[in-house]
Amino acid sequence: MRFRFCGDLDCPDWVLAEISTLARISSVKMKLLCVQVMKDLLDEGIDYDKVSKLTTDAKFEIGDIKASVAVLSFILSSAAKHDVDSESLSSELQQLGLPKEHATGLCKSYEDKHSALQEKLRESSLRLGRLEAVNWRVDYTLSSSEIKQVNEPTVQLRLQAQDPETDSTETTVVSITADKFRVLLTELKQAQTMMNALQ
Amino acid sequence: MIKLLDKLPPEECPKLMHRVVDGVCGRSGPRQTDYGDRWSLTEWVELMNTLSSLIRFAVGRGCSDQEIQELLSDLDTARAEAVVQCVRSRFDEIRHALVERTNAISSTQLQDFNWQLKLALSSDKLSALNTPLLNLSLDLKENGLKRSVNIEMNKEELQTLISSLEAANKVVLQLK
Repeated sequence: MRFRFCGDLDCPDWVLAEISTLARISSVKMKLLCVQVMKDLLDEGIDYDKVSKLTTDAKFEIGDIKASVAVLSFILSSAAKHDVDSESLSSELQQLGLPKEHATGLCKSYEDKHSALQEKLRESSLRLGRLEAVNWRVDYTLSSSEIKQVNEPTVQLRLQAQDPETDSTETTVVSITADKFRVLLTELKQAQTMMNALQ
Repeated sequence: MIKLLDKLPPEECPKLMHRVVDGVCGRSGPRQTDYGDRWSLTEWVELMNTLSSLIRFAVGRGCSDQEIQELLSDLDTARAEAVVQCVRSRFDEIRHALVERTNAISSTQLQDFNWQLKLALSSDKLSALNTPLLNLSLDLKENGLKRSVNIEMNKEELQTLISSLEAANKVVLQLK
């Protein structure tokens, strides 16, 4: 069997096994557990006390708690990754043996946070460096040892960008002549127009 | 040392001078091998240094033709005239080279830049990513050494950069 929420692949065995663990808690409790896992995925902070309270009725051991958090986390992020709609997700989970009420509850929280979750995944996708800050200063050079009357503006630019290899911030300070600066700005604007036309 | 130019017939002076100006402007200058039969290596180096400093001085100080003639008082009229003509006709170019040299004083300069627009299609996090990204590569020259800096920007980051540059450009335009 192939499942859309697994990217049109087989469902991993461990997920299949832990779906039966999920079925051991009530559908209401599982839905609340889903809310906590979703918070974790969105970096809003998971409340582990709540998680353990939700699972005490079902006499979950620490291993079961970890497994149910992991399986919910897999289902939600993988479904969002492959942009599965909540109805299809619900029917696929039922095919894998999750009771109907559980599947509906899970899909309800998935539907609510679907776009937020996708946005989060988009943000956390691999980036090879990003621009963090720009500072500038315009100077007017009056005179120098080379030439008595210069009278030319120059732009000093400081760019702070993240280095993809070390994840640290790398600072570049560069001085640009007025002519080059104009060309740079024009070309960047052209690129921006093309970029905006893409969406 | 300028007297060394006397070894060259006046009609060949303009050609040599234009090559010297090329050198001052950062392109390839005259080759010693082409003039090996006229000057020894030491003489050649001396002459080249004298001529290029003279050119830089004349343009840097904004000398008039008269003043350049005075600097060349050791030469005869024909050769001096050739030098003056050459400096005069390429004044703007030399001035531009001197401005570049001024900018190189105690700062890292931008030599060149290149950009590349890409559409990121998919990632391990999201199968349909479809995010446009711009790679900007800046070729910098720092104390004679070249290095390049690469920055990857998404739409928002590019907007930040462009807004900053536009604000700076406004000021630059007011100065012109």
